[in-house]
Amino acid sequence: MRTSSFGYLVKEGARSLWVNRLMSTAAVGVLAACLILVGAAGLFAANVSSIVSYFEDENEIVVFLEDGIDQKGVDDASLKIRMMDNISEASFVSNEQALQEQMDKYGEYAWLLEEYQGEENMLPHAFRVKVKDLVKLEETAEALLDMSEVQEVRVPTEVAHTLLGIRSIVSWCGFIIVLILLTVSLIIIANTIKITVFNRRKEISIMKYVGATDSFIKLPFVVEGLLLGLLSALLAYMVVWGGYVYVMEWAGTVDSAWLQELYQYFIPFEQVFKEVLISFCAIGVGVGSFGSMVFVGKYLKV
Amino acid sequence: MIEFNNVSKRYENGTKALENVSLNIDRGEFVFIVGSSGAGKSTLIKLMLREEKPTSGIVHVNGFNLNKIKRRQIPKFRRTLGVVFQDFRLIPYMTAYDNVAFALRVTNVSLRDIRRRVPYVLGLVGLASKARIVPEKLSGGEQQRVALARALVNNPDLIIADEPTGNIDPELSFEIVELLHEINKMGTTIVMVTHEHELVSHFNHRVITIENGTVVSDTPEYQEEAGYL
Repeated sequence: MRTSSFGYLVKEGARSLWVNRLMSTAAVGVLAACLILVGAAGLFAANVSSIVSYFEDENEIVVFLEDGIDQKGVDDASLKIRMMDNISEASFVSNEQALQEQMDKYGEYAWLLEEYQGEENMLPHAFRVKVKDLVKLEETAEALLDMSEVQEVRVPTEVAHTLLGIRSIVSWCGFIIVLILLTVSLIIIANTIKITVFNRRKEISIMKYVGATDSFIKLPFVVEGLLLGLLSALLAYMVVWGGYVYVMEWAGTVDSAWLQELYQYFIPFEQVFKEVLISFCAIGVGVGSFGSMVFVGKYLKV
Repeated sequence: MIEFNNVSKRYENGTKALENVSLNIDRGEFVFIVGSSGAGKSTLIKLMLREEKPTSGIVHVNGFNLNKIKRRQIPKFRRTLGVVFQDFRLIPYMTAYDNVAFALRVTNVSLRDIRRRVPYVLGLVGLASKARIVPEKLSGGEQQRVALARALVNNPDLIIADEPTGNIDPELSFEIVELLHEINKMGTTIVMVTHEHELVSHFNHRVITIENGTVVSDTPEYQEEAGYL
């Protein structure tokens, strides 16, 4: 195909977008609406996941060392713990530090613990350990308990199970919602493209009669679908961006303690704008061009 | 140029459109195909354009065996002929110039040749001054002349005109057929389907009459024998 012919076909696709502007507007509107819904569902799921992740990070296993363990034993235990795969962070808490923390908690009654300082301190040395993957929490706890330097391991199993449950529900719900919305979008877009192509079936048949090849006929439609998808993606991106920033600003000003607590774990739009833009463009361009190609094909059998 | 050898066509719904049709149209001929409604004229044209395949028999057009032609070769075949329809079939948002140029664009002709050839052909059909006008602002006769220019622009050996005067005034019908007549004089084969007896009798050409899917008469040059006077 000549470069001038290719340029002509691309120009035709763009021109056709304007010539059929009513259908183009409808298609852009429908696709943009679907992308906005998909984006909103995706961002909601991502934020819930971010909040859950924070709580997951806050979960610690407390590893109590054997009573009377010497410095070498502590160093060995420290090395073994840090060598484990699922450990993201481990900090040593001496028995003195642990007692001081308890005294701080007691506040004005801290004097009650004063007599346990020094030689009388009965608290064991310990490590506070954070895990990378909460699913392997129990498995990690067992490995820690198997260490000779360890006398007891305290694991927040119940909290971990609850958090894992929430994360799992949010992930699945998010996935299913996005899947349903994408399917609905595809059906609506497919029909919109079908109507567009149906309205122009006469034009397609003329092209066939003058000897146009299938690819020659398809290309302007594909370009048109691609541009429709791109326009829809940009429109949806603007709306999602504006809407997200507005909701974030609103959430920042609401006089609610729990919301303010959670607010710090919301994902700023700057952090996800690339992913949102790329996925919107990919879905828009993919649905638009692929849909056009498939439905034009149906009218090529002249 | 066109050869039908014992061609029959039955549609899926059981309709027998053509039954054992055999005919030959040579290069440079002007042939009218006449017959009443439902006689099988349109099916004959569809078979010539390879819009339909025959149920049995062999169809050759412009050196292509249309029984054996592959789908991807059909565009190449169609570029060897020009087609004119009753309803003009112009692309509504394109100007007369662009409608004609379109037939060249699909054949990958250079822009320079398009700019040279399109005004020439529009001039041939008397529409040089209306090149930049869209079809809806042209009269029926003018639209048909644009369609004719589009059929001509690739310099085809054969033009198939399916009731080209069906949608235009009688006086303009003569103009269109006169144009086809002139084109035929330049060596292009013309096959024209019509049911307008006056046109057939006015122009002294071969007439093939089809009734109930069969060729009932084929009279070279003299319409009297076909009963069209």
